[in-house]
Amino acid sequence: MNYDDDTLMAFADGELDAAKRAEITVAMEKDAELARRIAHHRELRARVAGAFSPVLDQPVPDRLVNAARGATVPGATQRRGEVVQFPARGTRPPGLPWRGREWGAMAASVALGAIISWKLLSPADSLVTASNGSLVARGALASALDRQLASTQVEADPVRIGLSFESRDGHFCRSFQLRDAGTAGLGCRIEGEWRIPVTTEAATGDLRQASSPPPAVLQAIEARISGEALDPAGEEKARDAGWDTTRR
Amino acid sequence: MEENELAGRMIHHESMTVSTEEIGELIVALLPRLRRFARSLSRNQHDADDLAQVAVERALRHREQFRAGANLASWLFGIMKNAWLDDRRARVRRGEVALPEDSGEHPAVTPADTNTSLWSVSEAMNKLPEDQRLAIACVLVEGMSYKEAAEVLEIPIGTLTSRLARGRTALAAALSDERVGAAP
Repeated sequence: MNYDDDTLMAFADGELDAAKRAEITVAMEKDAELARRIAHHRELRARVAGAFSPVLDQPVPDRLVNAARGATVPGATQRRGEVVQFPARGTRPPGLPWRGREWGAMAASVALGAIISWKLLSPADSLVTASNGSLVARGALASALDRQLASTQVEADPVRIGLSFESRDGHFCRSFQLRDAGTAGLGCRIEGEWRIPVTTEAATGDLRQASSPPPAVLQAIEARISGEALDPAGEEKARDAGWDTTRR
Repeated sequence: MEENELAGRMIHHESMTVSTEEIGELIVALLPRLRRFARSLSRNQHDADDLAQVAVERALRHREQFRAGANLASWLFGIMKNAWLDDRRARVRRGEVALPEDSGEHPAVTPADTNTSLWSVSEAMNKLPEDQRLAIACVLVEGMSYKEAAEVLEIPIGTLTSRLARGRTALAAALSDERVGAAP
């Protein structure tokens, strides 16, 4: 008996009627080649299904639960919501990607390499401003600290997030590096803003391997960290809670 | 599958109108499956969750279009399919993705990805044409019947099965090639 591939595919997908299914089940016992072709379809199906099934067991981000309930997140996460949540489709600037669209224009027109550290402190385009005696993240840096996850960031993201952790005085802190500028630092979420207790120069050549922060930032982390750095799930959870240690 | 049937059944037993609160809670129950479906269409979980959020928000805005008695999961998957295609069109329009493998973009690998075959399967899926990818996502990832998948994708069953067959062949070839994810 000769079965075409569509029939064997339907067999593997459980789409054949009982009679046809029984017929093929009998046939494949005598026909090794037929059995091999069916096994091929079944293995592919199992491999694809198995690859994505762990997603079912992951915690669902709060932003999706809130979206399903039609709720806007009150209080501390309101600010974050403005950055992270999608605007309604009609109000979204046309042609900008979902990810990082808020700095899309900047990334497209200005290589971030131009924004080297002097620009960090310059009034225009500033990524950091001084406020009440502390440096505070602004613009793309604040957005990245707000929303970007170390586990999902890509090479093209202008800011690279390193470690996220809870500090001994009960705040979330995140180390960061400006991808092309070679500036690294630490941001701590205090009173709804990202305060920057330390920045330092990092060698730009090392950026691709720079999974660990430069020594000055590491020291700042070690001086503050309580327990261990957040794992990817913890990082996502903290983000979805608006980096508010009281909202967990 | 269980949640899917559950949602379908629960709505069956409701009156003809489904309240916003009810539909919201039913969607919450379906979120794990929506995230999985979105993940099979996206390059990483972050993009997948963005897609899921767009679909959920769009569904709630147009909830009056949902017919009581219809399958909520199928309706949501269909909305997500359209949202995904809209986003792909927008990206193509601005020249971001001519072909997925030419984008020069590398998906982020999370520790979870590296521990499973998610990374290699996701990369192989990314190389498929959109229509084949959708067919694979519905039938192989979500385990839909051909009938349900054809409804979600709004295509005849014969079209679905031919896309599925071509998608399978391409996927098997990509996965047997150890260069999956390497630059072409």
